[in-house]
Amino acid sequence: MELFANLAHGFAVALSPINLLMCLIGALVGTLVGVLPGIGTIATVAMLLPITFGLPPVGALIMLAGIYYGAQYGGSTTSILVNIPGEATSVVTALDGHQMARQGRAGPALAIAAIGSFFAGCVATVLIAVLGAPLTKLALAFGPAEYFSLMVLGLIFAVVLAKGSVLKAIAMIVFGLLLSMVGSDIETGASRMAFNIPELADGLGFATVAMGVFGFAEIIRNLDAGAGMSRDLVQQKITGLMPTRKDLMDSAPAIVRGTILGSILGILPGGGAVIASFAAYTLEKKIAKDPSRFGRGAIEGVASPESANNAAAQTSFIPLLTLGIPPNAVMALMVGAMTIHGIVPGPQVMVKQPDLVWGMIASMWIGNLMLIIINLPLVGIWVRLLRVPYRLMFPSIVIFCAIGIYSVNNAPVDVVLAGAFGLVGYWLIKHDFEPAPLLLGMVLGPLMEENLRRALLISRGDWSVFLSRPLSAVLLAIAAGLLVLAVLPTLRAKRDEVFVESEG
Amino acid sequence: MSDTPSEAPVKSILQKWVRGPQDFVGGLVMMAVALFALWASSDLQGMHGFSFGAGTAPRMFAVLLLLLGGAVALMGLLNDGPHIAAYSWRGPLFVSAAIVFFAVSIRPLGLVVTAFASFMIAALGSEETKWLEATIVGACLTLGCALLFPYVLGLPMPMFPRFLIQ
Repeated sequence: MELFANLAHGFAVALSPINLLMCLIGALVGTLVGVLPGIGTIATVAMLLPITFGLPPVGALIMLAGIYYGAQYGGSTTSILVNIPGEATSVVTALDGHQMARQGRAGPALAIAAIGSFFAGCVATVLIAVLGAPLTKLALAFGPAEYFSLMVLGLIFAVVLAKGSVLKAIAMIVFGLLLSMVGSDIETGASRMAFNIPELADGLGFATVAMGVFGFAEIIRNLDAGAGMSRDLVQQKITGLMPTRKDLMDSAPAIVRGTILGSILGILPGGGAVIASFAAYTLEKKIAKDPSRFGRGAIEGVASPESANNAAAQTSFIPLLTLGIPPNAVMALMVGAMTIHGIVPGPQVMVKQPDLVWGMIASMWIGNLMLIIINLPLVGIWVRLLRVPYRLMFPSIVIFCAIGIYSVNNAPVDVVLAGAFGLVGYWLIKHDFEPAPLLLGMVLGPLMEENLRRALLISRGDWSVFLSRPLSAVLLAIAAGLLVLAVLPTLRAKRDEVFVESEG
Repeated sequence: MSDTPSEAPVKSILQKWVRGPQDFVGGLVMMAVALFALWASSDLQGMHGFSFGAGTAPRMFAVLLLLLGGAVALMGLLNDGPHIAAYSWRGPLFVSAAIVFFAVSIRPLGLVVTAFASFMIAALGSEETKWLEATIVGACLTLGCALLFPYVLGLPMPMFPRFLIQ
């Protein structure tokens, strides 16, 4: 079997000492980031991009991937113990997880979260390996029209699944597309909207904008809320990590459901870990015999979203590795990391860089194993870290971010730009615009323009090409259908209700 | 944290005519961004024949944003919505100041001075900062950065002020 040969090759790559070390560092840093509220995955990956310059590409990507899924673990730990979700993905985990902790069952809650995540990680790893090759073949059948339509679909997905106003989310995407136009035109080389500023000639750096909108803006916003966020620490010692037999019986089906749901939502462009965890929690609540248990320490409410977010975090690598399309903002940064190392993401990566692709896939499984082994004993340290007050943490984050951006190009202007985007991001938060679609638009902008141009050139200016090619027409039809569904009032009301409930 | 008094009259006018000021202003600003982009890309070549010029896509997206911004503003005008959230000045001011200071001084002053000074400026952004504690943490962080970035990670970065080295 080719699959096993590939996986074996991947494990051979991932098990080399340097890659094991990278995987461990990534997983640990990811957990740390997940634990600390106020610093997110996107900002961290952006911050660490320059650090990976000196590493071999495989090691660099293994580390960055580790940060991503490690953060899903770390976020759940703080959700359960202190009711502070370190990451958006673990907001729902806090609902039942923290209740369990208050009832003295923090141990089982943490263990189930870890077991669920590990199971989901295993399934997702296999899924990536199985789906990778066929999807790559499919990708080769894609022409520019299909690529364009697929990206439209992805952006619409991001809109439909984002919370809040559909209109504003679309506006954010278009804003992002517009930002991506700054710099040289790929075909004619003409300088666009760069105002003769040499640093803008190459376009706005993606990491720069990401760091501004997600790093600096978050810090400023947190300062607004007052640094002294209430921290409702569970004080009693955590005893008895092992869940009871009943816990396991209760949570096993929930873990399976969460994994399936998360895997699907992760693959879809625009989906991702946050949405997966919300959806999984809602599903559990819907199908439970006694929904009133939720919010009072139901173990399914921990098991399912934790499995879902981890599965989604991993399967979102599939569109990146096979089609070269990043389905969410973190994956967009991974594209940046690949480009830095001279790798162009897309269907050819699987064939040309087998070490990278399979090594990374294998490392995910190893990373998940490491997480389950290292994290349970480390719980105490993570909790102690949370006692570091925000008034000391935020200036440190500011400095790290500044050094990180500066070292990408050794350009002080980048730092100022990131600061400016920090203020833009702060304004966006104040006006309830979501920054994530903006980033997605910014990444997909150049790809969309290129494919749109090419498609129209091939069709000699005929716009109907997007509808006359069957695959493209199907993708656009799905996108249109989703958009209609999202705007329909009854469904909207339900969607909002889901989010309101989960945030409570 | 709290509303500055100067905002009050503006707010009352907004409240009288606009039912959702947050969206209304948000939409207007998006429209302004779109108009700015239209202006900024007006010198670029448009369609020639059926192939895109450099200016086609930017103008297309700008028009789209103009329409969307208009729609958001209209929704804000017609539907009840939240008011504009209060802005604070302290956090944004000092965090921005720290960032700008870092950008300006990293080359002439080097990492050690810049990192420490930026840390202290950023620390001004919170009312809860305790100075002794902040100084100690800032110094440790600076030491850590000075070891981590140039030596462990091998990133080229000036360490000390230029005038000291020469």
